[in-house]
Amino acid sequence: MKRHLLALAIALPLALAGCGRDNPNATLDTRDAGKDAAGSSTPGDFGPPQGEPINAILTSPPLVPPATGRTAPAKVVVNLEVKEVDMEMSEGVTYTFWTFGGTVPGSFIRVRQGDTVEFHLNNHPDSKMPHNIDLHGVTGPGGGAASSFTAPGHSSQFTFKALNAGLYVYHCATAPVGMHVANGMYGLILVEPPEGLPAVDKEFYVMQGDFYTTSKYREKGHAPFDMQRAIDENPTYVLFNGSEGALTGDNALRANVGESVRMYVGNGGPNLISSFHVIGEIFDKVWFEGGTRYQENVQTTLIPAGGAAITEFRTEVPGSYVLVDHSLFRAFNKGALAIMKVEGEANLDVYSGKEVDSTYLGDKAASLAPVASAAAAEKAGTLTVEDQAKAGEALFAGTCSTCHQPDGKGLAGVFPPLAGSDYLAKGNAELIKVVLNGLSGPVTVNGQDYNSVMPPMSQLTDDEVANILTYVKNSWGNGGGNVTTAEVADVRSGTARSEGAAH
Amino acid sequence: MRRFLPLLLCLAPAVAGADAGWAPLPGGEFRSVLRYEDTGGVVRVAPFELQRRPVTNAEYLAFVKRHPQWQRGKAPTVFAEPRYLEKWAGPLETGPQSRPAQPVVQVSWFAAQAYCEAQGARLPTWSEWEYAAAADATRADARSDPAWRERILAWYSVPSGAPLPDVGRTPADVHGVQDLHGLVWEWVEDHSAMLVSGDNRNQGDPDQMRFCGAGALSMDDRENYAVLMRVAMLSALEGRDTTRNLGFRCARSPQAPKGKQR
Amino acid sequence: MIPLSWRLLAVLLLALPFTGQAADALPGDSVYLLDDAFSDQAGKPFKLADRRGRPQLVAMFYTSCRYICPLIVDSAKGVEHALSPAERARLGVLLVSLDPARDDTAALASVARKRKLDPARWTLARTDAGAVRRVAALLGVRYRALADGEFNHTSALVLLDAEGRVLARTERLGPVPDPAFLAAVKAALATGAPPR
Repeated sequence: MKRHLLALAIALPLALAGCGRDNPNATLDTRDAGKDAAGSSTPGDFGPPQGEPINAILTSPPLVPPATGRTAPAKVVVNLEVKEVDMEMSEGVTYTFWTFGGTVPGSFIRVRQGDTVEFHLNNHPDSKMPHNIDLHGVTGPGGGAASSFTAPGHSSQFTFKALNAGLYVYHCATAPVGMHVANGMYGLILVEPPEGLPAVDKEFYVMQGDFYTTSKYREKGHAPFDMQRAIDENPTYVLFNGSEGALTGDNALRANVGESVRMYVGNGGPNLISSFHVIGEIFDKVWFEGGTRYQENVQTTLIPAGGAAITEFRTEVPGSYVLVDHSLFRAFNKGALAIMKVEGEANLDVYSGKEVDSTYLGDKAASLAPVASAAAAEKAGTLTVEDQAKAGEALFAGTCSTCHQPDGKGLAGVFPPLAGSDYLAKGNAELIKVVLNGLSGPVTVNGQDYNSVMPPMSQLTDDEVANILTYVKNSWGNGGGNVTTAEVADVRSGTARSEGAAH
Repeated sequence: MRRFLPLLLCLAPAVAGADAGWAPLPGGEFRSVLRYEDTGGVVRVAPFELQRRPVTNAEYLAFVKRHPQWQRGKAPTVFAEPRYLEKWAGPLETGPQSRPAQPVVQVSWFAAQAYCEAQGARLPTWSEWEYAAAADATRADARSDPAWRERILAWYSVPSGAPLPDVGRTPADVHGVQDLHGLVWEWVEDHSAMLVSGDNRNQGDPDQMRFCGAGALSMDDRENYAVLMRVAMLSALEGRDTTRNLGFRCARSPQAPKGKQR
Repeated sequence: MIPLSWRLLAVLLLALPFTGQAADALPGDSVYLLDDAFSDQAGKPFKLADRRGRPQLVAMFYTSCRYICPLIVDSAKGVEHALSPAERARLGVLLVSLDPARDDTAALASVARKRKLDPARWTLARTDAGAVRRVAALLGVRYRALADGEFNHTSALVLLDAEGRVLARTERLGPVPDPAFLAAVKAALATGAPPR
């Protein structure tokens, strides 16, 4: 104890003295000053187990066993069953999975650093194959594989001490190993650091795996394993928790706004590395590779095949958050997709949802050159009908053409034509009025009845209206002539604006 | 009829195997999937005969009727573990779950040996089995053909809970043997020679002390995972073990072609 | 008159390698249920069941073995040395050859002589090849014959009780005995019947 205090006393002033920005791993650094790295195997042996042996609580995904809450090393007995089970990997698609505990991934095991684990591997009598287990948290030959080779209908026992803290993958290691893993024989074991992990509101267990079948993606029926595809590293499915529906729909993970969420994420492989990302969330902390130190503010974290990571974040905004492997074709074409539903009050300060949906005309900017030159000409007093028509053409596109069509033909029975329209005979004042105030109710153009609503376009400036109408009068065989800015100004001031008009 | 029965028993030890029949295999030099240090993986298989099909429930029932010490309940546990013939309805009754033409399973190595010896035969050696299993319908050694491997691998995808098919349903190979793959694992005489480490990933690991003068057997041809899985399975078993997917068939030296079938 | 069929049945039964015909039957998990014929370093035939009555140390070896097999003898001797003379007298040692083809009686006798193995307690035995497989299976010994006549094999020292049941086994070999195994030997000798 004294040595700890001494180390702290030396390190703390140094840490404070050197600080501008806080080092998030500072606590870990000060704790370990003068010692081996945190969580490593050398100080991880806290001595013999104390107290009565404890039967480990194993959970099926996506649930995680509760924190051990222990402060001293214990003897923990783990009973893990191996079963070969037929289950659905996608709707209407079944696969013969080889499992630890009847699920893919297998049961989650939670112990504390320094615990002595008495491990029983039980191979169900119906199994066709012998199986064993390699736990990455074990220090010893094969990670336990050499000592757990078990024929169907038999049970093997071996004991190990969890010397290192961290989140570790376990998997079957019977030849051919790739096939056993490809069939779903993997899971996670968490070895808590001695002080435990900080409490959070929700903990989830997610594990990615790649699957290789002779049948096509989503081809219904029983899907046999395809060894050649596995060797070629060309999966048919890439899945979280062994099936497309494992964490979607009714099985989606659930949390509430304002909760702290920790995900224990593993990657069984056998081949692919995962680019793990939660759409719409940022990981406040990532214990990359399941180790002792964490990074902060991470969008996407790499999880090696046969590796794991712990991610932590706080939920702020309600909605559906999609967990993906950000190698996107795996997410959207092979099934590497899971959902977390967050429920609660909206938080508009953080995320407002869609506020405005307006038309965007795309090419308007590029084609507005004639408008600029017409404005310049008007200033210079050299504005010609041609200038106006060109400017009007640019403005017509996208504003008027949406309804009256680029060829001025309108839409039969809905929008009156401008091409060869007898309405133009009504004179400029009438036309300007229509543009500024809109037109609704029955109207006959070229012998056809129309009864639609033209919205007021009073947001157009005087010269814009003038130019557009000049363009209309000079196009599609219409009579010609022009409309001046002054005429428009007259009508604008002289007539009342209709409802909805700008000014 | 009873008078003739003992005569038949004496003269035709293969009476129970008469349904299966025997196929002659020429043997020869053969490259094993296991890298034997002493022979570099090349094995010489002498000519032998192999039963065309695995031993069935009906045939095994006939055996235990004649050899009561091998009946379930009478066979000592040192020779057959408690699950011996577990799926049979009774010690002398196969019952609805174990059809007569299904391969007999849940038999131990000792029991299989005793059955074969009662036929004047023996269990095949691993090399004989491996050699026979390399064949397909047209070739003696089809192991480089991906189709050969795929057919075998497909078996592992068949759910184990389903009842076993009857023997003899699949086409015979070039030697006239059926069901070496895709039906049941089969005992061999020297399964205890499968000196592989429990962790099969330690290929080439120089732990010489483990098997007195040699490390564990290495699997030479990793692509032949179909065979590797058999090796893994056999190396996991003890002589008294039984499993729901493990049966056997017998082998013997080539018989004289003429005269009474012995 | 016994019908022919019954007589023949009896013949067949007796021809089989194992029957439980001892006066009081051997327990179902006894290694001595193996009925094969063995012979010792003096050429005297015996059955495993003849060794009933006192605990045995059993192992498998072969005389031309260069690596481990000398250690097997050392291991058994190591156990003996750790016992009191009274305990030693109550323990039998049985070594069965993996290589009956080359380990004839003379070869066995030669080893017994060279290593000064007291025939009152030590039996070096041989049997036929099929029986070797069966004994190995019962003792949990795995072996493979090599082309040059050597063997790859696992090595274990197995403790049997007076009725032939396996009490303990160790794969830790050497003149200093495995402490847990030694404790099991002492416990078995404490309860064992006096030698026949």
